[in-house]
Amino acid sequence: MSIRSRRWAKTLVPVAMVLMVMCLLSREPLAAMGSVGVSSSIGQAEAAIRKAFNSTVYAEGAGANVSSLIARLNEAGDLLTRAEVAYGNGDLSQAEDLAGQSLTAANSVRDDALTMRDSASAATRSLVSLSVVSWAFAFPVFILFLGIVWSLFKRFYSRRLMKSRPEVASDAEA
Amino acid sequence: MLKLEDYKVVFVSAGLIGLLLLASPVLSLAIHLPGGGEEFSELWILGPGRMADAYPFNVTGNVNYLIYVGVGNHMGSSKYYAVYVKFRNQTDSLSNATSGVPSSLGQLYGYKVFLQDGQEWSAPLTFSFSNVSSLGGQLVVGGLAINGATYSVNKPSSWDAEYNGFYYQLLIELWIYDAQNDLLRFHDRFVGLWLNVTAPQ
Repeated sequence: MSIRSRRWAKTLVPVAMVLMVMCLLSREPLAAMGSVGVSSSIGQAEAAIRKAFNSTVYAEGAGANVSSLIARLNEAGDLLTRAEVAYGNGDLSQAEDLAGQSLTAANSVRDDALTMRDSASAATRSLVSLSVVSWAFAFPVFILFLGIVWSLFKRFYSRRLMKSRPEVASDAEA
Repeated sequence: MLKLEDYKVVFVSAGLIGLLLLASPVLSLAIHLPGGGEEFSELWILGPGRMADAYPFNVTGNVNYLIYVGVGNHMGSSKYYAVYVKFRNQTDSLSNATSGVPSSLGQLYGYKVFLQDGQEWSAPLTFSFSNVSSLGGQLVVGGLAINGATYSVNKPSSWDAEYNGFYYQLLIELWIYDAQNDLLRFHDRFVGLWLNVTAPQ
């Protein structure tokens, strides 16, 4: 081994040792940081699910059929449960992955719920407008119809009254 | 024969009824009458055959047991439920449905359930105990696995001389999402499964 190589070795060995010690010392904080990150992802997924559910309820209130959204919410909830289990078992990467999937699914449900709510609200507004216009037309027609029926009935009643009018008869013999 | 005035009263009444009938589709869009019936939720557990029998009772360590948990929504609209599984011994706090207070024990496993009005949900709940050891008049359950997730519980139980056994309870609580406060709150419903745990031979 040359002198130059020895010098390199003398420099590199302590550096490598320092790096190894640093790695060993930093494992715990790194794991803790990862744990905090996953916990935050799970929290975000939970919040997204609550928002998605609220949007679904609004869509349902507006008259939309939300059965498909409810099914997808159950899937998002199941993914979140699995993420929590993985987190509890210490499988942070899987927990992160599942929480991310749950978050994506929940956000997708929320977007679709908002679209469905808007469509349902528009459909309801159209229905109300159509009903009001129809009623505005039907109301005078119905009143006119009632007037005609009443006048016909009055005529019929008067005729019947005239027919049944008692005639004055004289029984005096001439 | 009725007078014309009498007929007029009948005619006006019939006309008003007709008008109401004619306006009913428009009125139904504007006026929402409350739906009749009581609003409630159901929570139940069934045995391994999905019947209300053959529940696990005499249990031991390292054996898998199966029950089914179910929820029914009759609240009049879609609801978000959480079903929490807790594990207690005879001295741990129990949920109180009357005062609406859940057990102070932490949840081990939680299902998230979304149901439309009139819908029901049920799911299997498998559980097993590990590190069950007995020492003198005490038994300790070290670990509990629920649906594949393992939890370290280290829960002791004293000998129950009245019923001859070491008793634990799998406590299942129903929580519901409160949109106003944006949180899940105890829904005053819980079921429990008593288990007589013995250490494996």
